Amino acid sequence: MTRTIADLGPDIHRMYPYASNFANVNGWRMHYVDEGPVDAPPVLLLHGNPTWGFLWRETMVPLLEAGYRVIVPDQIGFGLSEHPHAASAHSLDNHAANLVALIDLLELKNLFFVCHDWGGPTGLSALLTRKELAAGVAVMNTWAWREPSSDFHAQVMPWLTMHAPIVGPYTMGRQGGFPGRVMYLSVVDREKFKNGAMKAYQRVLADPDDRRLTWQWPRSIPINPETDIAGDRFAWLEEGVRALEIPSCVIWGREEVVFTADVFASHWHEIWPHAEGTHMVSGNHFLQEDSGREIGDLLTDFAKRNLRGTGR
Amino acid sequence: MSVKKMTERPLGFRSVPVLTDPDVAHYPEFKDFLVKTFELDKEPLAAPGLLDVDGRCFELIFVGRSGQPFPAAIEIAALVEGLEPMDTAQTDKDLWQIMEWLVDGVGGRWTIEALTTMGKIYRVTPDGT
Repeated sequence: MTRTIADLGPDIHRMYPYASNFANVNGWRMHYVDEGPVDAPPVLLLHGNPTWGFLWRETMVPLLEAGYRVIVPDQIGFGLSEHPHAASAHSLDNHAANLVALIDLLELKNLFFVCHDWGGPTGLSALLTRKELAAGVAVMNTWAWREPSSDFHAQVMPWLTMHAPIVGPYTMGRQGGFPGRVMYLSVVDREKFKNGAMKAYQRVLADPDDRRLTWQWPRSIPINPETDIAGDRFAWLEEGVRALEIPSCVIWGREEVVFTADVFASHWHEIWPHAEGTHMVSGNHFLQEDSGREIGDLLTDFAKRNLRGTGR
Repeated sequence: MSVKKMTERPLGFRSVPVLTDPDVAHYPEFKDFLVKTFELDKEPLAAPGLLDVDGRCFELIFVGRSGQPFPAAIEIAALVEGLEPMDTAQTDKDLWQIMEWLVDGVGGRWTIEALTTMGKIYRVTPDGT
C-alpha cells in the first residue's frame, strides 16, 4: 500500500509538513520530499538505519529559508518507500544504485551530498558514480572504509549477539528493537524523543516484515575480512573518497558512543585534509534529533560559501 | 527450559511461519551447529528439523541458495493444531528459548548470558524487559 506523510497522522505531518513524491528506482517505489525552487542548487539529505527522511525535518528548514532545493529520499526498505522482503534487494550496491537512479531521474547537478550513518556508504558510493554532478559533501556520524571499524561493532555483547543468525530477525524484526529502544538510547534528550519523534520512526516500521533492513543492513558492516559481504565495496569506496577534492565538511555528535569522534571524525580529516570542521554539536548517534536546526545552520553556511550555479 | 529434538511431526498440525533468516551462515558456527544437529551434511533435503519446546512443536526448514553452502537460510514455523489461533505471546517466549538453545549449542564466545543481557538492554525479550 502506498502511504504518504499525511497518511501517518496529523501529529507526524505537523512535524514533517511536506508533500510526498514517489519515484521508480530500479523497480522499487522510492518516497522522497522535494522542496524549494527547482532550479536552485540542490541539497540531498541521506539518512541511515532505521530512520527515514523525517530525521532531517529540522535540518532542512534553514536550507529552505536560504533558498536551496532540498531533496530527502527514504532509502528503499525504510520510511514510506517500498520495503522489499527479498534479502538480496538490500545489498549495499543496490541501495547505492537506488540513489544514483533518483539523481538521474531528477536530473540533478551541482549537488550537495549530506550523509548520515548508512547514508554515508550509500550516498558516497552514489557520489563516486556521478562524481561530475557533485559540488560538495558533508558527513556526520558515518564512515566509508573497512578499517578502522568501531570497537562496539566487534563486541559479542551486545552488537554481535544482536545480529546473530535467528537472533537478529527476532530482536530487530519481531520485537522491533531498532526504531524503539536502540534509537531511544542513541539520542541525548530521551524524554523529548520518547514523547515526540519516536512514534514517527515506529509507525513506518509497524510490522516485523517491514523491519528487515534494520537487522540486515548491520550485517554489511565490515568487521571480519573472512566473512564480510561488502568488504570489496568499502575498499573501493575508501579509495574513491580519498581522491575526492570537492569542498567537504565534517559534523559530529558530541555524545556519540559508537562512531566516536576521536576515531571516526578524525579519520575523515585524515582522508580529506581540506575538510571543514569537525563541527561538534550536541547529539548521540542520531544527532539530528538533538541539534537538527543547528546542523541545518552549519550546512547552510557551508552551502553559501561553496555551492555555485544552478541545480538543473 | 526444555528444547529437544523431535523425530516425528505430529499429525493434524499446521505450519505457521514465525521467523526467517536469509543468512544462517552470517556467523558460520551457527550454520555448522545446525548442520551437525540435524545431520544436514548427510541428507540436506530431508524432512524439516523438529524441535519440542516445553511440549510445543517447531519446524526448522532449511533453505539452499545457488552458490552458497547448505543451508543458506532458515525458516522457523510453529506447529499449531488444526485451525486454532496461534498464541503469539507464547510463541515469542518459545522462540527466545530456541535462541538460548542455539547460542548454548554453538558455544564458544556465544552465551545465554550475553543473549539475556543484550535482550534486557534493548528490551527485546518476550516480556519486554
